[in-house]
Amino acid sequence: MVNDGAPSDVEIVARVLGGDGEAFGILIRRYEPGLLRFATRMLGNPDAAADAVAESLVRAYRHLAQCRDPARLRSWLYRITGNRCRSHLARRRTNDISLSDAPPLADGSDTWAVLERGEQVALVERALNALPAEKREAFVLKHVEGMSYEEMAAVTGARIPTLKMRVHRAREALLAALEELV
Amino acid sequence: MMAMSPIDPRLQEALDGERDPGTLPVDLREAYARLIGAANLLQTIPATSVAARVMAEIHDLKPEVENLRPARRIVRWLSRPRAVTLRLRPAWTLALAAGLAAILLMPTQPTNGPIPGAQEGIAQFVGHFPGARSVEVVGSFNDWSRGSLHLQDENHNGIWHAAAVLPAGPHEYMFVVDGERWVADPLAGRYIDDGFGAGHENSLLIVRPAQASAEEDADRR
Repeated sequence: MVNDGAPSDVEIVARVLGGDGEAFGILIRRYEPGLLRFATRMLGNPDAAADAVAESLVRAYRHLAQCRDPARLRSWLYRITGNRCRSHLARRRTNDISLSDAPPLADGSDTWAVLERGEQVALVERALNALPAEKREAFVLKHVEGMSYEEMAAVTGARIPTLKMRVHRAREALLAALEELV
Repeated sequence: MMAMSPIDPRLQEALDGERDPGTLPVDLREAYARLIGAANLLQTIPATSVAARVMAEIHDLKPEVENLRPARRIVRWLSRPRAVTLRLRPAWTLALAAGLAAILLMPTQPTNGPIPGAQEGIAQFVGHFPGARSVEVVGSFNDWSRGSLHLQDENHNGIWHAAAVLPAGPHEYMFVVDGERWVADPLAGRYIDDGFGAGHENSLLIVRPAQASAEEDADRR
C-alpha cells in the first residue's frame, strides 16, 4: 500500500529507470513483507523463500523497463516471485526441508500465548501444505495476500473462473484437513 | 487421504465477499470463522529481510537491456531453421530428429502463421516428451508466465513443437511439462545461470531478425 505523500510506484519506477538505483529500496521496503510471506507459504521453507524473493527482486530490477504497467507493479512482483517459487518447487531436492516440517513463522517469545499461537500456525500450515501448489497459491493470494480475482489473474496468468475453482477447492480441502488435524 | 466434500455455495459466496456472513446458518458460520481464522494465522509477516542483500546485488547493475550480456555466438538452429546440426545421443533422438526435420523444413514465414516485424524473428520450440499431457514454454519474453505459448503434439509421437514471433535478441526459456515440471531444453545451443543460486540453468535462444535471415538466405543462393 502507498501512504499519503509517499511516491507512487510509477514515480519510483521512473526514478530507477532514470538512474536512481537507490530508489528501488523504497519498492523493496514497500513489497518485501508480502512477497516474503507469499513465498514462505508457497515453499514452506523460510530460507528458500528468502532466496526466491531476493532473486525475484534482483530480476525485477534488471528487467524493470519490461514492466508494462508500473501502476500494477505489485502484481508484476508477485508474478515474478510466484514463478520463482514454482521453479523452486519443481526442482526441490529430496533433502530439502519438507513443507510439513517447516517451522511456523511466529517468532518466539516464551509465553504461553505465543506458544499456543505458534502451534495454531503450525497446524494451519500443515493443512495448507497438504494442498497441491496451484490450490495453495490460489488460497494464499486470495485469503492471505487479500487479492481480488482480477489481480490474481494478473499474477498467475490463469483465468478468473479457473482461479475461483482453485480457491473453492482449496477451501474445501483446507476445511477437511483442519478437521482431521484438530 | 483427507475426506473432501463440496462446501455449501452460500459459504463460498460469503468467503468471496458476495454474501453477508451474518446471514449464514450457524454451522456455515462456524466453517466461515474457521477458514477466516486460518487465513489470519497465515498472515504473520516473516521477521527476515532481504533488502540489504538485494541492494548490494543491484549496486553495480543497471536496469534493462544494457545489462544483458551479449551472446558470444548465435544459436543458429533457432533463428535460421534450415541450418541445423543435431548431435544424436540416446535412441529417442532418432525420432526427435525425424520430427525436427519435418518441423524445421517449414517455411520461415508460414503463410497462415505469425508474420514477424523488422525487429522480430520466428523461434521454433521443439521437445521430446513422450506421455506428456501438456507442454508449454515460459521465458523472459512472456515474463515467465504460463498459458501463453503451448506446444502441440500433432502426430501423437511425443514430439511437441510450437513457433512464435519474438523480438530479435536473446531470450531465456524453459519448458513446463504437464503444468508442473520445469525442464531445460536439451537441444538448446546455450544455457545461462537462472540467477536462483542453486546452479540451475535456463535455456537460451537468440532470435535474429527475420529480415536479416531472409537476406542471408538470399546471399547463399
